[in-house]
Parts: sequence; structure tokens; C-alpha cells
Amino acid sequence: MKKLYYDVKKCLGCKSCEMACAITHSISGDLAKAIKEGKISLPRKKILLSKDKNYPIACIHCKDPKCVDACIASALVYDKEKGMVIQDEKKCVGCWMCVMVCPYGAIRPNLRAKVPVRCDLCKDKDKPSCVIACPTHAIIYEEDKSPHPLKTNGLGVKKEGAG
Amino acid sequence: MKQYVIVGSSAAGIAAAETIRKTDKASKIVMLSDEDYFSYCRCLISYYLAGEINEEGISYREQNFFKDNNIELLLNKKVTRVDPKKNKITCQDKTQVGYDALLIATGAHPKFPEISGIKKKSVFGFRTIKDAKDIAGLLPVTKTACILGGGLIGLKAAYALRKRNIEVKVIIKSGQVLSQMLSPEAAHLVQQKLEQNGIELILGQDVAEVIGDGAELKAVKLESGKAIGCSLVVVGKGVEPNIDLIKDTEIKVNEGIVSNDLLQTTVPNIYVAGDACESFDITLGQAAVNALWPIAVEQGKIAGANMAAGNIRYEGSLGINSIDFFGLPVVSLGIYRINAQGAKNIEELKTSNAKENIYKRLLLKDNLLIGAILAGDIKTSGIFLRVIREKINVSPFKDKLLSPNFGYPDIMDFVKDKERIYV
Repeated sequence: MKKLYYDVKKCLGCKSCEMACAITHSISGDLAKAIKEGKISLPRKKILLSKDKNYPIACIHCKDPKCVDACIASALVYDKEKGMVIQDEKKCVGCWMCVMVCPYGAIRPNLRAKVPVRCDLCKDKDKPSCVIACPTHAIIYEEDKSPHPLKTNGLGVKKEGAG
Repeated sequence: MKQYVIVGSSAAGIAAAETIRKTDKASKIVMLSDEDYFSYCRCLISYYLAGEINEEGISYREQNFFKDNNIELLLNKKVTRVDPKKNKITCQDKTQVGYDALLIATGAHPKFPEISGIKKKSVFGFRTIKDAKDIAGLLPVTKTACILGGGLIGLKAAYALRKRNIEVKVIIKSGQVLSQMLSPEAAHLVQQKLEQNGIELILGQDVAEVIGDGAELKAVKLESGKAIGCSLVVVGKGVEPNIDLIKDTEIKVNEGIVSNDLLQTTVPNIYVAGDACESFDITLGQAAVNALWPIAVEQGKIAGANMAAGNIRYEGSLGINSIDFFGLPVVSLGIYRINAQGAKNIEELKTSNAKENIYKRLLLKDNLLIGAILAGDIKTSGIFLRVIREKINVSPFKDKLLSPNFGYPDIMDFVKDKERIYV
């Protein structure tokens, strides 16, 4: 399973990734047309400035996703084979529980469309569009090497004596 | 081979059964519900009543879930007694089921005020799919509905009925809506939104009486003496845990069923999770009942794991609420109100923008976040929740807490399980 990683030293904070993401997830897939779409497409990735460095942040598809547990509408499912949280927008009622419990602040509400937006790794494409758009190759798309959650029991709670 | 019995088939019960099945595929699981619907999310009944989702949309697990997980589901079975000495439960219809480990996930029921006329026809709680269907059935002959209570349940009912073009009047004893989760300023934004959308709020007044002809509802009478004509009343005055089944047993009860940090009751092979469970509240620093869907799921997972011989400690619950009214998102985490004695140690950080309907207020105690209220802009709420839960000292990033740029990068050096994201 591949995941997105970020080389902060290389990130310029130019937001090319945000732009590419928003366009990819728009209805038309085209910048000029996307701007005029009623439910404007929001990027599923944001660059946050912290201590003079730029940090891209997007859903990391936790293996024990709190958003899936909190979803009241069964709109979120963790797909073990894909290693991804799958979101069914048709089922979503826009209660924002997933936004409230995301430990990475990586799910953002699209208030106008009444659905949360999160990285879907550009599911139909070989490579996420942010990876292609990044001019400095700061976004790396590679196999997940780290076991996760670290030292936990799959419940997001530390086992006694394990920590 | 063990026999697990789970009383209740909602959030906590389902989460427990799923967790048991992760490690124990063979043992028998019997789940009992006093409702006749196999699995649904009661938080969705307002969306159903509003006509935004259909009956299929409120289901929480697919119909084949129980078969696939080898769970024997018994519907319309009200458990009336637990016998901890004989390790068995008894149902209203005299059915008895023995257990090795029992989970009480019975949930709660709406509290009705003790006023004259409250038992009349067309006065409903708003908790079950049956409530929603009964109310929906009356809509063609309903012009005006009165909601008693301005809490989450009352307002969700008000929202749904308004969406169905019913004239809605919400009667609220407190001077604000959502007084159990919001500050007056945040509540003000919600009130504006509700009023703009045609919901009438009657603040600072309680209902004195429900009046009508015999069983027939005609009006509600306020304490001021004023009567409001209506043919439908929905009661949203809070809930209380369903604990009749353990009456006269040694299982200890306070506000809810007392649990330890393994979510055992005072009888070790009997566990409790969900709205009936009183657990340690990490923001209050004392036991409390946090009757909330996501809390019920997390408690159910832990109780289930421990029933199946796990040893997982529950770090505690807290009040967490998220809701959207007509496009205004609102989140409340932890402590929402400062009382006079506690105020001296508490620091308040606040920002608001009336034009954009944005309001944020954080409460800090000794540089630890203990409460957050967000309206209009809720995107950092997950980070705030993590900071509260992991008791992260906010001093290094205090001046940034209310910035729109605040996020995971600011807290990542202080979190418990640091994920590899940045290389």
C-alpha cells in the first residue's frame, strides 16, 4: 500500500499541490471551468506554516480511523485491502463528526456542498495529482513501511505495559 | 467457548460485538434489543423526519451483518432482570439467557417533565425510529408543533419539522439554546440561524401544562399563563439511562452504571458501555455520563475487547458534540461553562467575526485545553480534541491556537503516537 510523505525541506509552500488537488476533484477537471462550478471544489490537502516551515497535511488513512468510528451515517468504511478510508458521499448527512475527531485535522468541511473533503489518493489515477504537480518533488508516494498504529492494539489505546 | 450476551443493539452493542469477533470467532454472541429494527443509527432520525434520507439511509449495519458475524440477534426482547449470581438475564416474555460475560448497552430514554397532560396523544420523545415514524404519520394533519427543550434533540426535531413546512415553536427554559454545550455567544449565532429559517424560539420560559380534550392535544400552556395552540409536541428534555434491569442487584449506579477503567461494572463479568455508562470524564476529572454516539462506539470497542479477555484501559470520555444547523457548523468539546469558583484558574481565549458567523472560544487551565466551542469554522476541532485528550501543554503554540493556520504541524512534537508523515 502506498502512502504520501512530504519532504519538508523541499516544500516551498507554493500551493501547486492544493491547486492540482482542487482541479482534479472538480466536476470538469479544468481550472477555468472549475472556478465557475456552483459547489466549488476544495483542495483535500492544505499547506500549513509552522515555525517557518511548510507542512502539507492530508488524510493519512489511519489503520484505526477515528472518523469511521464516529460516522453516524455509515458513510465511512476502512478498506483493509486498499489501506484507505472510503467515503460514500451519498450516505453522508454533513454532521461533521469526522472533522471533529480527526487527530490530524486532515478532514475539512465543504460547508456549501455539505460534505467533508479528504484525500482519496486520486483513486482513479496511478499517481496522485499533487505528486505530479509538486515542482520540487517534495511529495513522495511510496510503500508504507511503518507499522501503524505504533505500539497500540488496534483500538487506538495503549495496552498496559506496551508503552 | 464462551457465551457473550449483549443487551442493546445500538452503537455500543454493535461496536462490542465487532471487537469480540476480531479475536474470538467461535464463541456464541447473543444480542438483544427491545426495538424491532435490526440496526439503525438513532442520530439519523431527524434527517429521516426531515425527508433528507429514506428508511434505508438510517440503517447502521447491513441486514446480513449479524449472520456474517455469527451473532444471534433477538429483537423485541426487553431484558427486565440481570441475575449476577446465576449469570443469566431474564426478558419480559420470561426468556432466559445465560452468559459468561455480559454487556449492558441498554442506552437511555427521554426524560418527560412531570406536568399535567404530558401523557396525551401526540406528545412524543425523539429517540427511536418509531418516534420518527409516528411523528411523520401526523404531519399531514399538523400545522403547528411545539418542541419542549432547546437542547440538541429538541433543535434537531425543530429542524426536521421546519424542513417539512410545519410551524415550529421551541420552548426553552434557559435563556439560550444548547445551554448544555455552548456559551451564550455561540448560542446566539445558532439562534439567529434558526430564526432566519423560520423556527420560533421562546426563551426563558418553561411549559406548565399540556392541555386538550381528554387524550386529544390542543395546546401547551407556558408558566406565564400564555397558551400556544398545537397538535404535536416533541419533548427534548434530556435522557436518562435504562437501568431498570439491574435494580436490586449489587451493580452500583450513580447517575449511570458505575464503571472502572476496563469498563467493568462492580460485578467483574458484567460490562457497561454507551448511554447507560458512567465513566471517568477527562475534562471534568470525575465520573460522568456522556451519552453521545461516538463515545458509545469507543466504549463498546473497549468493553468488547475486555470481554474477550483483553486488558485495555479506557482513558475516559468527554462531552463532544458536532452539529450543523442550516449551514452553520457548531462543535463543542469538553467544558463549556465556567462556574464562579472555578473561574479564577481558567484562561479564556476568544475570537469572533460576526459578519462571517465565526466564533471560537477555548478554555485553558494551567496551560491545558479543557474546553473548545467553535461555530462557523470548525476545521481545527480535531486537533483541539487531540490536545484535550492527550493533555498536551499548549504553551509552545498558545499564541497560534486561534489562528486559521493552526494544525497538526504545531502539535506533532508533543503527540503520543507520532506518525511518519514528514521525511
